[in-house]
Parts: sequence; structure tokens; C-alpha cells
Amino acid sequence: MNTLYYLILVPMVYIAFAIFIIGTTVRLINIFRTPKHPATLQVYPEKKPGWLWALHDTFLFPTVRRHKPLLWIFLMVFHICILLLILGHLELFGEIEILQFIPHEIFLGQGLVGLIASIALLYFLFRRFISPVRELSVPEDYYLLILLFLVVLFGSQMDWARRWYFYETVTVEQYREYLGSLLVLDPYLPDELTESGHSFMLVLHIFFANLFLIFFPFSQSMHSFLSLPVNKLRRG
Amino acid sequence: MMDEKTRDDLLKLFESKLNEAMRLYLETCTRCGVCTEACHVHASMGQVKYIAAYRAEIVRRLYKKYFKGRGKIWPSVGEARELSAMALDELYEAAYSCTGCRRCMVYCPFGIDTQMLMSIAKLLLVGAEMEPEILTLLADTSIEKGKSIDLFKESFMQGLKRLEDEVVSKWKLEAGETAIPVDVEGADLLYVALAGAHSIIPAAAIFNAAKENWTLSFFEAVNFGAFVGDPTKTKLILDRIVSEAKRLKVKEVCICECGTAYRVMKQLTGKQPFKVSSITEVHARYIREGRIKLDKTMVDGAVTYHDPCQIARNAGVIDEPRYILQHLTDDYRELTDEPRYNWCCGGGGGLVAMGEDTLDFRMKSASVKVDQVNATGATILATACENCHAQLSNLNDHYKMGVDVRFLSSMIADALIQS
Repeated sequence: MNTLYYLILVPMVYIAFAIFIIGTTVRLINIFRTPKHPATLQVYPEKKPGWLWALHDTFLFPTVRRHKPLLWIFLMVFHICILLLILGHLELFGEIEILQFIPHEIFLGQGLVGLIASIALLYFLFRRFISPVRELSVPEDYYLLILLFLVVLFGSQMDWARRWYFYETVTVEQYREYLGSLLVLDPYLPDELTESGHSFMLVLHIFFANLFLIFFPFSQSMHSFLSLPVNKLRRG
Repeated sequence: MMDEKTRDDLLKLFESKLNEAMRLYLETCTRCGVCTEACHVHASMGQVKYIAAYRAEIVRRLYKKYFKGRGKIWPSVGEARELSAMALDELYEAAYSCTGCRRCMVYCPFGIDTQMLMSIAKLLLVGAEMEPEILTLLADTSIEKGKSIDLFKESFMQGLKRLEDEVVSKWKLEAGETAIPVDVEGADLLYVALAGAHSIIPAAAIFNAAKENWTLSFFEAVNFGAFVGDPTKTKLILDRIVSEAKRLKVKEVCICECGTAYRVMKQLTGKQPFKVSSITEVHARYIREGRIKLDKTMVDGAVTYHDPCQIARNAGVIDEPRYILQHLTDDYRELTDEPRYNWCCGGGGGLVAMGEDTLDFRMKSASVKVDQVNATGATILATACENCHAQLSNLNDHYKMGVDVRFLSSMIADALIQS
């Protein structure tokens, strides 16, 4: 068991990050290395400056707001949650001063961020079971949502355990030790992380997160990097 | 069954379309379904296969099979599909039920261009010799005409002679003026019309009224190469006009009321010594500069205007027709609050040029357009595109709409005030 935990928590994390970073970079380079389209592809009437409106379209999803308001609410909430969760994980490497602008224990949002993200993911998933999105969806769309749901669920469980059920065996300090050691390429696993009752949550969280990172560069998740350039084409 | 060689050749054609924009369109879709309500065919007929994302996925499945590493390791994850005879049938169905109006781009959170993706489908069909033959035939005729212009010149000039009286009946000329000037070196404006009196007579009368130093092109503006999705032919058809404009040293090339012709000319010619305008822009300019005056009493009844997709949403000529209509009527009614949401007439992408073969589909797929026009209560339905005009006239007959489908230019020509 310990060997399995070790494999997931150390080598697989390195492999996942390597694939994520190299895969994403190579794929982006390959896309942007191809020749540009010779003509404009914009839609009129145009608004200037195009790049500013492209940013607006990329981050505020105005077309979804107009045509699918309920989906828009879930999309906005979900993407904001993802952003907060990424910030939270950065705090697991070390204190980030500016974030303490809102005084908080690690992970902003008192455990609610993960909860809301899980609900949003379930909404996206069940939405895909209903026509016509059902007919449009392909397996990767479901796999990604299920994978993300599992990542968020097990990740949040650790946060909820500390916050809501006063579970104190594993603390932020141990996570910091573990992540910090990975960062300096000198992996160290505190016993609390692998031998406490809640270890399986951490292991499952990291396992599914690894799978997600490995799949990311080859999946439609790439829209996180491609949305801005593709929106820019429409705005001219 | 498709043999190895055919497939390889088709995949080379596919690859030739994979520029940066195309790759972005192929990689980005999340199949969120926001485009569901965008397509007039889906809105009119209801089948899922007419949703933009579904059409796109027909092309994307092949991309996932042959141009993503994933297609070899794990094709089922994206439902990657083999390029087979059946796949070609699906491509035909997707591409020739799409008019390339790009209304779905207004809905998509990323702005994915379905017309671009369908251009892959159309090129593969050309490669497999499965495209609508009539479109290739028409494209080849245009190209042939460009190569052997002297053979056509004689009969062309004779044809024009017969139109001159009608031009003069709309606008009397002073002594020494030519009703339809042709081949005038140093003219300011080269007018590229369509074969057909309706595209030449009103335009000529208005140019003469505005005292324009103009000349008529030998060629028709329409680009059948673009309809059939053949980039080489599109370019050849375009180049005939570009070289004529350069030979005559004109300052401006004015494209008649034809959506595809205008957009292709405007956006695909690159940097040239002349500018490209649509005839609607030129007419708006004449009114603004006081070069022509219009009589509003010549237009009887409420007027609405159908924005041709390739001229308005896809090329930005939106304010000009409205400005013109202000000078033609006091009872102008919009079809939509925002022009970019205008429904396609249902005749673009070569469907009208394919004639009777597509008539049934064109009528069924455009019922939302009919409802939109009827809701305005207008009796005159103006537009500025040959394709739209033909399709809207068909709809008018089929659905007994009881409107008068008019070309904007012809309304202007009829309302010219000769002082």
C-alpha cells in the first residue's frame, strides 16, 4: 500500500506535470506555428479596440449570458471557483501576502468554493444527458467532468474535514512540507500524509488530478488557452 | 470502400486547410450547445444534425482521427471517425445544408466559424468528385471566360447595346455621354456586375446620374469557386477582375449586389492599388455627397430590409443600406433589433445556384425567415444580394407572403430625380 501511495504522490505527480507542461507547450507551439488565415474572420458590426472586446468575450462569456442565462451562472461560478482553488493551492507552497488582504485560513471561501464547484460540475454533467447537448457530446466531455468532479470532491473533503469536522491529524504544515519538497526535487512524505485515516483522500485527490493533468493537453480543456486567440479572430 | 490512395489524397487536401485559425476552430469546441438556436435550418426543421456544433463535429471527427496523436492511441474518446464513403456522405449533408451565414458565430462563446469548418468538407467533396457538379461547371465557365476574353467580347458588347435604351429611360444622358461605358482606361470606378439586365441597368442609370467616371467589367462578379469551396478556382475567378482593374488603372472596384462576390473581393484580394466597395456603399456615398437625389413618393408601402449575411454580418456593410432607405421611405421597419442576429434567407453557400435540386430544402429550412418578414408587416422586402433576392422570391411564392421582393439598387434607380 505504501508503495502505491508513494508512486501516486511522487513519481506520478512529476510525470503528470511534465506531460501537462510539455504537452501543452508543444501543442500550442504547433498551433501557432501554422500560417495565419489570409483574410479577416471577424463578425460585424465591429467594436474597437478588438483586443479589449476579445478579453471581454473570453472572460465574461456574454453570448452564453444572453442565450443560456442559467448555464452562464454556473459557468461563471465554476470558473471563478477554479481560479480560487488554484490560488489556494499556491498558498500550500507558502504564504501569499496579498491574499491575506481578506484574512483567511488556507483555502479561500471557508470550504464553500469546493462545494460550489462540485455542484456546478454535476450540473454540467447532467446537462449533457439531456438532448440536444447529449447528441453533441462525445466521451471526453463526460470523462473530463467526472474526473474534475472526483478531483474537486476528494480535495474538498480534506478541507471540509479540517474545517467542519475538526479533523486535526493532517494540517496545512504537512502539505507544505510535502509540496515544498516536490518543488525542490527532494521528495519527502510526512507520515501524517500517508498513514492517517484520511490519507486515502489525499491519494485519490492527487491520483485523479494527475490523470486530469495528463489528459489536459490532448483534450478540449485546451480551450482555457485557446479561448482568447479564437475570440480575437471574431473581434478582428 | 475507399482505397488507400484516394484517402491519402483527400487527407492531403484536409491538411492544406489546416492554418492557425482552422486549428483553433477544430481544437476549441466544448460542445456546450449554446449554438443550438443559432442555425435557421435547425430553427425551421428541428433536427439535431443541423446544430452548428454537430455539423462541425462531422469534420472534427476526421481531424481527431488523422491529425491528433490521440486518434491512434484512443480514437473512441473523441468519437474519431475513419474517412470512408459514408463519412463523405455525412460531409455532404453537413456542408450543403449550411449556407455559411455565420449566425452561429454570434452565439458561440469562442466564436467558432462553422463556414470555415465546412470549407474543409467542401474541399474534400471536390477531391472525391462528389461536389454538386453544377457549381464546378459554373466555376469552370467563369475561369474559361477569363482566359479567352476576346471570344466573348463581341457578343458581350452587342448584349450591352440592347440595354442602353433602358438605361437612358431611367436617366437621360447629355450629348456625348455613353450609357454603359466599357474598357475605359483611367476610369475612377470599375463596376463588376452579374450576367443579367437587372444587375446592369439600374446601376448604370445611377452611375450616370451621379456623374461617375465609371466602366463596366467584362466579367461577372459571382464567384462559384467560393460556393463549391475550391480555393484554386476561387482565386482564378478573383484574379480576372483584379487584373482587369489593374489594367484599367481604376481607383475603386465596385461589386454589384452579390454577397459572396463582395466578401471574397473585399477580404481575399490583399493589398491592391484600388479599394473594394459594395454598390450599396457607393450609393450611400452618392446620396451623402448630394450627387443623386431620390423621390420618396416612388416607394409605396412599408419597407423592410434583409441584410445579406456576407455583406452585413460578415463584411460590415450595415449602416449604408439603412441610410439609403431613409431617403426612399418614411416607413422603414427593421427585421431584428440587432442586424447580426438577422436570419439567413436560406439560399447561401451555393444552394440557390444549385436551383431546383435544393428548392424543397430551401423552402423548408427558411420558415423562420418567412415568419420574421411577416412579423414586420412590410409590403416591400428589399435586399442587396442576388442569391438572397432569388431565395426570398422563392419563399414569397411558396409561402404566399404577398411582399414585393426588390433590389435596393433598382429602388434607387426608380426613384432618381432628374433635375
